[in-house]
Amino acid sequence: MSAVATKTLLEVRGLEVEYGRVRAVDGIDLSIDTGEILGLAGESGCGKSTVANAIMQILRPPARIAGGNIVFQGEDLVGKSTEELRRFRWRNVSMVFQSAMNALNPVMRVGDQFVDMMQAHERVSKHRAIVRAGELLELVGMDKGRVRAYPHELSGGMRQRVIIAMALALSPELIILDEPTTALDVVVQREILQEVESLKRDFGFAVLFITHDLSLLLEFADRIAIMYAGEIVETARASTLAAEPLHPYAQGLLQSFPPLTGPRVKLTGISGSPPDPREQPSGCRFHPRCPHCVPGNAALYLRQTSERPRLREVAPDHWVACHLVEA
Amino acid sequence: MAQLDPTALDLPLAAPKRSIRVGRIRVPGWLALLLRNSKSRTGLLIVACVVLVAIIAPLISVAHPNDFNLLAARQAPSWHHLFGTTDQGSDVFSQVVVGARRSLLLGALAGALATLVAAVLGITAAYVGGIVDEVVNLLTNVFLTIPAIPLLVVASGYLRARGMWTMIAVIALVLWAFEARILRAQALTLKNRDFILAAKASGEPTWRIVFGELMPNMISRIAAAFVLVFYISLLVDSGLEFLGLGDMSATSWGVTIYWAQVNSTVLQGEWWPFMFPSLALGLTVLGLVLVLAGIDEVSNPRLRTEHKRGRIVALLFGKATA
Amino acid sequence: MRWFARRLGFYVFAIWVALTLNFLLPRLMPGSPISGLLQHLSPAQLAANPGIIQTYEALLGGGHHSIWQDYVTYLHRISHFNFGLSTSNYPTPVSEVVGRTLPYSIFLVGVAFILSFAIGTGVGMVAAWRRGRFTDSVVVPAFMTVSAFPAFVLALLGLYFLGLKAGWFPIQHAYDNNVIPAWSWTFVWSAFRHAQLPMLVIIAAYAGGWVLNMRTVMINTIGEDYVGMAHAKGLRDRRVMTRYAGPNAILPPLNGFAAQFAGAVGGLVFVEIIFSYPGVGYTLQSAVLGNDYPLAQAILVVLSVCVIVANLIMDVLNFVLDPRLRTS
Repeated sequence: MSAVATKTLLEVRGLEVEYGRVRAVDGIDLSIDTGEILGLAGESGCGKSTVANAIMQILRPPARIAGGNIVFQGEDLVGKSTEELRRFRWRNVSMVFQSAMNALNPVMRVGDQFVDMMQAHERVSKHRAIVRAGELLELVGMDKGRVRAYPHELSGGMRQRVIIAMALALSPELIILDEPTTALDVVVQREILQEVESLKRDFGFAVLFITHDLSLLLEFADRIAIMYAGEIVETARASTLAAEPLHPYAQGLLQSFPPLTGPRVKLTGISGSPPDPREQPSGCRFHPRCPHCVPGNAALYLRQTSERPRLREVAPDHWVACHLVEA
Repeated sequence: MAQLDPTALDLPLAAPKRSIRVGRIRVPGWLALLLRNSKSRTGLLIVACVVLVAIIAPLISVAHPNDFNLLAARQAPSWHHLFGTTDQGSDVFSQVVVGARRSLLLGALAGALATLVAAVLGITAAYVGGIVDEVVNLLTNVFLTIPAIPLLVVASGYLRARGMWTMIAVIALVLWAFEARILRAQALTLKNRDFILAAKASGEPTWRIVFGELMPNMISRIAAAFVLVFYISLLVDSGLEFLGLGDMSATSWGVTIYWAQVNSTVLQGEWWPFMFPSLALGLTVLGLVLVLAGIDEVSNPRLRTEHKRGRIVALLFGKATA
Repeated sequence: MRWFARRLGFYVFAIWVALTLNFLLPRLMPGSPISGLLQHLSPAQLAANPGIIQTYEALLGGGHHSIWQDYVTYLHRISHFNFGLSTSNYPTPVSEVVGRTLPYSIFLVGVAFILSFAIGTGVGMVAAWRRGRFTDSVVVPAFMTVSAFPAFVLALLGLYFLGLKAGWFPIQHAYDNNVIPAWSWTFVWSAFRHAQLPMLVIIAAYAGGWVLNMRTVMINTIGEDYVGMAHAKGLRDRRVMTRYAGPNAILPPLNGFAAQFAGAVGGLVFVEIIFSYPGVGYTLQSAVLGNDYPLAQAILVVLSVCVIVANLIMDVLNFVLDPRLRTS
C-alpha cells in the first residue's frame, strides 16, 4: 500500500522548544512522507529527543513549544485543545521509548497496560483488548501468554518488543523510535530493527528513527537528518549522505565508526564536545569544533563566526547549512 | 513529632569548596548555597534568632526564672510580665528565654553524640561490609522498630538521678539509629568511587579510609543528619521533661510546660504558662525542619521550583547540566 | 516468599531485643530498683505475700541467682504472658491492666495514624501532580508548620482552643462518666466523641511528614519513563496519576511506615496523658512515676509488639501492591 504514497505525513516548520530560558531546539524543519523511515542523528544533548517529545505532544513544564508549527496530515497540532491532543497521541503517532527498562509500569501486568491504552481511544471490552494484546505480542515474536507477565519478569529485549507491539496496536501513521536500542546488546538491536522493518512493510507506517548511531541509520533509514546543537545541519537520502556528506559535522560522524566492509581507514571523529545550550557559539554553532574554520581565510572566518548558516538545497533532496557549501 | 523521611536527605558531594562573597562578607560555599534557598534561609534565620536569645538570656530576663512571688501569681501577659506569670508567680518570659539555653544545649549535645555514634558505626559498616554491615544494619532496624519514646520513658524511669549528661547519653543511645541508617546508605554510594578504591589499592588501613577519606567527603551529609537528630532530641528531651522524667529542677521549656500541665493551668483557662514555651519549641523545630527542607531542595534538583533552577543548578553542577 | 521469611525473622529478632533490653535495663542502672519499689509496698502487703520480694528480684535483678538463670526464668515467664503483678494496682496482674487499657490505645492510634497516612499521602500526591498550584503552595506549608509542633504541644493547643474555648469536643477520658462500657450505641457514640480531639491531634502531628515524603517521591516518580509513556499513550491525566504515578509512588512511604509508626506510638503517650485517655500511654507514665516496673516493662513490650504487628500488616500490603516482591 505504500508503493505510490509520497504524500507528506508530517511537517515540522521552524520548531522552537525552550526549557525555561534555555532553547533546546532552535527553529528546525523536518518532513516525513507516508511510509518513510526518516533518521534523526546527533550527539546526546543536541535536542533530538526533545523534537520527538514535541511531535508526540508530551513536553512537560518547564519545557514548552516556543514557536513554529507541527503539521500532521494537514492539521497544525500547536494550539489544539488538550482533549484533541490526547486523542491524537498514540492513535496517530506512537513512540518506542529510549529506555525500555523503565517505560513499562512496574506494578501493572503487561496486558493491562495494553487495555488501558486501547480503552483510552476506543470502546472495547477488557476481554477483547486482552485478546488483541496477545495477538500483537505474537506479531512481535512473543508468546501471547505474556500478557499476564509483569515487566520485571521480561528481559530487556522482550520489554522492547512489548513496547513495539503497543506502538502498533492502534495502527498509527507514524511511529517514533527514540534511541530504541541503546540499552540492548548488538545482536538484539539488529533483531528488533529488522522486526520493525518487516512490520513496516506489512503495516505501512512511517518511522522517525532517533539515534546517535549513524551506522544504524545508514542501514535502515530512507532519509537522514543530522542535528547539531538544536539545529538541523544536513538532510539527505541515506545513500547520498553515505557517499558524499557535505557538512563537516556529518563527515566527522561518518568517520567516527569503522565501515563493516572495505579497506581499513583511519578513524578520526570530531574533537571537542557539544556546546552548552545556554551559551551557544555565535555564527555557525559548529565553528569551534570545525576543522575548516581557521582564521587564515579572513572573509570566510568572519562569516563562520558571526553569521548563522541557513539550510539550503544543494542538490535535489540534499539540504545543508554550512558556509563552506555555496549553492 | 513530624519527621522528614530520613532517606530523602542527600547533600551534594560537590558543594562548592570556595567561599563566596556576599557584599563585603565572605561566606563559606555551603552556607551561601543554603542562603540562596528560601526555605533554608528562613530556617537559618529562625534558628539564629533563637540561639541569639539563648545567648543574651541573662540580659533580657527580668528576674531569676525561679523567683516566685505568690502575690503576683497567675497573671495574664502584661507589660510588666510579658508572658504572664505561673501559679507560683514566676515570670514566664524569663523561664522561656533562660530555658532556651538548656533546651538548645541539651538537644545539640545529644544530637552531636548520636551523630558521632551513627557516623562511626554507619560509615564503618558500609565500608567494611560483610558481617559487620549486617549486624549494624540489623541493630539500626531494631532500634527503629522499638518505639523510642516508650523506651526512653522506661529507661529514664530506672534512673536515680536525671542530670543533663545522663539525659544526653540516654537520648543519644536511643536516637543514633535514625542517623546511622541515612549515613550508611550514603556511604554505600560512595565506597566504590575512584578515590576510595585508589586509597584501598594503595594499602591504606581501614580506619584511615573511613576517617581520612569517607568522613571528610561526607561532612555535609553528616551535618544534615545532625540537624535531623538535633530537632528530634530537642523534641524528645522536652517530651520527657513534660512527662516529669527529666531533670525537673532545671529551667527549660519542657519543665515549664510540665508544671503548667501538672497544675492544670490549661483547664483553668490560663494559656500563657504552656503556650509561650510551646511556641518557642515549635518555632525552633520549624526552623530546623525548614533548614532540612532547604538542604533537600538544594541537593535534589527535581524538587526545586522552576524560576530558581538556573542559578542553583549552575552553582551545584557547574556547566555540565543542561 | 524468601523476602517474607526474612521479614518475619527480623520481627522475631526485634521482639527478642526488646525483651532483652527490658531485662537488662534495670540491671545496668546504678543502684537497685528493688529498694525503690519496696518503699511503695505497705507492710501489710509484704506480710500477705511473702513471695513478692523473690518475684521482683527475678524481674529486676538483685536476687541470689546468676544473671543467666534470671534471664531464662524471665523469658520463660514472658512466653507464658506472665508479666507479674502490678505494684500500683496491687495485686492485679499486669496482664489484666494492659488488657483493660490496650484496646483504647489501639483504637486511638490505629484509626488516627491510618487517617494521617491517607490524608498526608493524598495531599502530597496532589501537590506534586499540580506543582505550584493551591495545594502545593498553601496546603503543604500549612501541614508542614502544624507538624513542626510536637504532639504534646498540639494536644495542649487543641485542648485549650478546640476543647475548652470553642467547646466542640469533650476534653477528658475515653467516654462520659455516666456511660457504662459495653457494646451499646450510647457507649460507642460517647467513645467516638471522646476520641475525636485526640485523633485530630495525632493526625495533625503526623500528616505533615507524609505530605512532605509523598510529595518528594511523587515528583521523582513523575519524571519516570513509564509516566511519560502513559501520557504518550493518550491516557487521561487522572488515570495516569491513579494507575501509573500513584501506585509506584506509594511504595517508598509504605516502606517508611516502620519508623513513622514507632514515632506515632511515642506521640500517643503524650496525647493520652493530656486528654486523660485511659490507654497504655497514660498508664505507662503513671507506672514509671509510681515505680511500677513490672507494668512499665510489660507496656514497653506490648507497644513494641504493636509496632511490629503494624509493620507486618504493611509488609503484606506491600507484598500485594508490588509484584516485584512476589516473584523474586
